[in-house]
Amino acid sequence: MSLLYSLARLLDRISPAPIAYAHCDIPCGIYDPHHSQLAAHTVVRMNDLINQLEKPGTSATPEQRQEYTNKLARYLATKEQHAEMAKNEIRILWGDYFKPEHLKTFPELHDLVWKALKTASKARQEINLQAAEDLLKATNDIASIFWKTKGFETITAKAPHPTERQTVYPKYK
Amino acid sequence: MIHSVTFPLRRFRVEDDSMRPTLAPGDYVVVNRWAYRLRRPAAGDVVVVRDPEAPERFLVKRIFDVNRSRIEVVGDNEGRSRDSRTFGPIPLEEVIGKVWIRLRR
Repeated sequence: MSLLYSLARLLDRISPAPIAYAHCDIPCGIYDPHHSQLAAHTVVRMNDLINQLEKPGTSATPEQRQEYTNKLARYLATKEQHAEMAKNEIRILWGDYFKPEHLKTFPELHDLVWKALKTASKARQEINLQAAEDLLKATNDIASIFWKTKGFETITAKAPHPTERQTVYPKYK
Repeated sequence: MIHSVTFPLRRFRVEDDSMRPTLAPGDYVVVNRWAYRLRRPAAGDVVVVRDPEAPERFLVKRIFDVNRSRIEVVGDNEGRSRDSRTFGPIPLEEVIGKVWIRLRR
């Protein structure tokens, strides 16, 4: 380590040097929380469908059992996929979109994203409507902050999906 | 002509990859804030500028074009750089100074 570098390191302890970013990443600049909300809706819907599915009783025929298993397997597979999609979309917003200055304005983001990812895992692992609802709420809360950072107001409205849950949408100008 | 009395040199720590191989994350640069008092910025100079998209941040880039009152900057690592190709030219007032020395580990 060069002497001057060591000196700079020492100075940093006394008074940290500001950072000059040689900023990278492909700056595509295209982000939207909608994907995460949509994925969360699907997770809610799959829980609803699973809960509505009639379980085969002791007198069920092999065909009825097979049909039940087929449906359940498809709902579960979709729930898995979409919970993972929600996590991925949240990670993209977190890792690529949100900047330190957003965090200064919305310090709750750290906790919100952390909990959203944990909740998404829970919704993925379990048949758990509450976890799915919590995931949807988390994606709505993140969307609400996202649109504020973009300078848009938001409205909360019933989604036009079978889930019909309250969802945050931007008020486009 | 009286200049405000500020110490001309200022340290910055480099983050991210857009100036590789010239500058790498963790390097320090010492910037001369008086560099452009006597001469104009020139293409090829490595400068620290305010980020036009986030004024409280600083960017370190290389000048590739100078016109009357604005400069255009790019990263040396062009494939991985957000610079004038995205945010356009930068007014001269936003230039903090010219990189004078680089300190590497």
